[in-house]
Amino acid sequence: MTSVLTRQGLRSECVAGDGSLAIETRSLVRSFGDLNAVDGASLSIPRGSLFGLLGPDGAGKSTFIRMLATVLAPSEGDAFVFGHSISHEQNAIKPRIGYMSQAFSLYPDLTVRENLDFFAELRGVPRKEMDSRAKRFLEFSGLTEFAGRQAQHLSGGMKQKLALAVTLMHDPDLLLLDEPTTGVDPVARREFWRIIAGLHCEGITVLVATPYMDEAERCTEVAFMDNGRILLHETPGALKKRVCAQTGEERVCMEEAFAHVIAEARSGEANA
Amino acid sequence: MNLRRIGLLMWKEVLQLSRDKMMLPLIFLMPVMQLIMFGYVVGADVTNIRTVIVDQDHTVMSRDITEAFSASGYFKIVDRLDSEDDVQPAIDEGTAMVAVLLPPGMERDIASGEQVPLEVIVDGSDSKTASVASGYAAQVVASYERERLTALGAVPDGPGIDARVRVLFNPSLRSVNAMIPGLVAMILMLSVSAIMSQAVVRERERGTLEQLFVTPIGRAEYVIGKVVPYVGIAIIQTLSVMVVGVLWFQVPFYGTAWIMALGLLLFLFTGIGQGLIISMISNTRHQAQQTTMFILIPTMVLSGFIFPIESMPAAIQPLTYFIPMRYILVIARSNAMKGAGMSALWPQFVAMAVFAIVVFGFGISRFRKQLAD
Amino acid sequence: MMSLLRRIAAVTRKEFIHIRRDPRMLASILVLPVIQLLLFSYAISFDVTDVPTVILDQDRSAESRDYLASFEHSEFFRVVDHIESDVEADRAFDTGSAKVAVIIRPGFADAIARGDKADVAVLIDGSEPNSAQLGRAYASALSSTQDRQILVGWAESRGMDVTSMGSLSPQIRTWYNPDRRSADFLIPGLMVVIIMIVTIQQTAVSLVKERDQGTFEQLTVSPIRRGELMVGKVLPWLILAFVETAVIVAVGVLLFGVPLRGSVLALALGSVLFVFSSLAIGLLISARASSVEFANMAGLLVSFLPGFMLSGFAFSLESIPPALQFISYLFPGRYMVVIARSVFLKGADVATVLPQLGALLVYALVSLTLASFAYSRRL
Repeated sequence: MTSVLTRQGLRSECVAGDGSLAIETRSLVRSFGDLNAVDGASLSIPRGSLFGLLGPDGAGKSTFIRMLATVLAPSEGDAFVFGHSISHEQNAIKPRIGYMSQAFSLYPDLTVRENLDFFAELRGVPRKEMDSRAKRFLEFSGLTEFAGRQAQHLSGGMKQKLALAVTLMHDPDLLLLDEPTTGVDPVARREFWRIIAGLHCEGITVLVATPYMDEAERCTEVAFMDNGRILLHETPGALKKRVCAQTGEERVCMEEAFAHVIAEARSGEANA
Repeated sequence: MNLRRIGLLMWKEVLQLSRDKMMLPLIFLMPVMQLIMFGYVVGADVTNIRTVIVDQDHTVMSRDITEAFSASGYFKIVDRLDSEDDVQPAIDEGTAMVAVLLPPGMERDIASGEQVPLEVIVDGSDSKTASVASGYAAQVVASYERERLTALGAVPDGPGIDARVRVLFNPSLRSVNAMIPGLVAMILMLSVSAIMSQAVVRERERGTLEQLFVTPIGRAEYVIGKVVPYVGIAIIQTLSVMVVGVLWFQVPFYGTAWIMALGLLLFLFTGIGQGLIISMISNTRHQAQQTTMFILIPTMVLSGFIFPIESMPAAIQPLTYFIPMRYILVIARSNAMKGAGMSALWPQFVAMAVFAIVVFGFGISRFRKQLAD
Repeated sequence: MMSLLRRIAAVTRKEFIHIRRDPRMLASILVLPVIQLLLFSYAISFDVTDVPTVILDQDRSAESRDYLASFEHSEFFRVVDHIESDVEADRAFDTGSAKVAVIIRPGFADAIARGDKADVAVLIDGSEPNSAQLGRAYASALSSTQDRQILVGWAESRGMDVTSMGSLSPQIRTWYNPDRRSADFLIPGLMVVIIMIVTIQQTAVSLVKERDQGTFEQLTVSPIRRGELMVGKVLPWLILAFVETAVIVAVGVLLFGVPLRGSVLALALGSVLFVFSSLAIGLLISARASSVEFANMAGLLVSFLPGFMLSGFAFSLESIPPALQFISYLFPGRYMVVIARSVFLKGADVATVLPQLGALLVYALVSLTLASFAYSRRL
């Protein structure tokens, strides 16, 4: 565990998927009034991947993830998490996922440890393991010395790490993270990603929505989302290669690749 | 000071209010509901007190007395009982609050020159109605006696007292007339202190306050932008209460508009100061709400809004001088009902002005200081 | 089953931590009721007394002094000033320094000596209708008594035996609360108001606050069911409300000497049902509220208007319009005030207040069902 965490710049070295799907969505639609926030998204995410969901603000990433987390019911279509339908089998899904919403706040007047314990209790973590798990997650999120501090007095980065620790207490197989590093300073962000990479190496499937392109490079697979639709789904390397071939440039960074894909999709729509 | 920025802030406040689909109707429903409750419930006069008569005399006199009670309008005869033993269950079950006992042989005994007691039993568990009922019963019996003696002809033209008891300013004794001027002040205070403090604290809870201060907005501009919309709401509420009061409840207004307005304005500043102080010492909206309750309850009880101050124990009365609402109540009532002017009301105005300066000044200066931190 | 209890316990424990961490919440649970008890027991009296009165005696005779003495001796009126002119009376009314003026014109004694009716004017400030109404009744009763005395004196001086005409004298007996102490009247009802304020205001924010804070989604993805969440959130307030009820009863009986004459069982049954009903109202507000501000204001409004005004706790509901009567029956306070007052002052047992207990039972069942439906709706 610790050895994994000390390694820098982790990427896809430790993928250990068995080829089965963690998530499969079929023409998923969610509308709010006239607006289709998610408009027929189909996506398959294999087990063991560290999956980046990219897209501009308002693309529908949060709505997509919230449906997978069983927080929102889909308007049309369905999705399966470990083979269970999000429409009918929420209770089979809930114990296996950890979900960190974009605005995930903790109880500000509860201490770090109380927040951890509360959610662990709700999740039915065995009593015997509570203490050891709490210690372990406090340890690797660097919060051990702040265990007795009220959450409202933590810094932004620490809050995010605590939120992540909270979602891990019940030992989920799938982590759904909605822009977990928004508003976190670069140092804390790098550390946060080191933790995610470590989790990924332990075999947890991670779906992370992010607007940051540099974060996408750390993923094993990425998908672009725009206007509620999934535009493409491939590995970061393959994507960059393809864009290089199309634009004739020697090297592109993710940001450029991303801009290219979006522009292409939008012009395609305009033509149609 | 930049008028455009202030306007912008005010606009933002109005937008936020209008986005909360439930809050806005509540803000405008609140005064109407209060008006109805205060007008009809607190303002209800004690009449038609449920009364049972135990007539064991069955004579002309006993029937006349029954009639006198019934005709007074204060008592409503709900039942005639035969035995004194039936009184207890009637009062226990709450079917009656008053029992009038007309003993057997009453007419005969009086005719033979005896002094006959007329027993009136009142249910003291409702001490308010009990007080009122005792007063009325005494009055009914006294005037019956007077009539009886005169009718007897024994004292055809004897001397006596012709007391003309006249009620001034509100001859029909309608409680609503007194309630509405007070309610105007009450609603004004609730709007600027309770509702506004919620809005200010929300901004701090959400952290949008910090956002605002990285823009060129000055602290004074912020305060004005925050306060003015709620003052606007308060004024609309006040006006609607006045209009409903005059048109629906037919409350007369004998006062002078500018005196009323000046009094309310001073009180408004006190209310704003109070709202700012509440928001300053509260970290969450729930706390702000609870702080409001701490202020609201003593204000309701001790201001004289519902319960007259002079009936309070001497030890409590000095406390009432610290309740700003006390003064605006005197101003609003005396002005609206009696047409009292500055020459009579200046002490209240002085007190009101002192409160406005102290509370508003303290609120504003500490608020600005806190924003600066 | 075990995990269900465990989840409920976790929520309850968390709620208690919230309460413990927030001094103001503690204060509003512990201190505010005490303030209310003190204010209502000491400050309020429905026995109107000491109404400030000015006297203008332009006759200055033995007869006029006799008559005015009856006002000075009355508990209702308190003579604050002997004035010289009508202008002073106007002024006293304007400034509010007097609410009653008794005016005797010159010739009062002469009229009586002649065998005529002597005029007296009693002016009452109607701007406080309650005391004005009583003032009118007392002034009339006082004058009638004086009137009769003068008549009797006059008749006797002519050798007539007026006592042979007999007399009827009212004897007022007050049952249950002979001193008509407001504390006895108010404290049983106050118990109802305090419980309503505490429970509704605290539970009204319970769910909206989690939504507002963003913690609600996290609860949604956990296995906790809405019903469990509701129970867990309500439990602390249920416990506190019972403790509070017991404390108010104890303080009322021991400190204020309010008699507890009836069946404690009836009171306890009523309190349980009433607390459940009020909690359900709070939960309903919370489940439906669009924002924390709305929940706060609605809680304030509901606990104040129906709780304070329409419960019959201080204000008689006898003569309010039928529409309001109807509304008052839609809130649990009205039933509980009857139960509390009957048990405390009238010695009622379960059988006497059975109709009210029945109403509260129905109320509690219906409101809790509605609340749990409202609570369990999806996002």
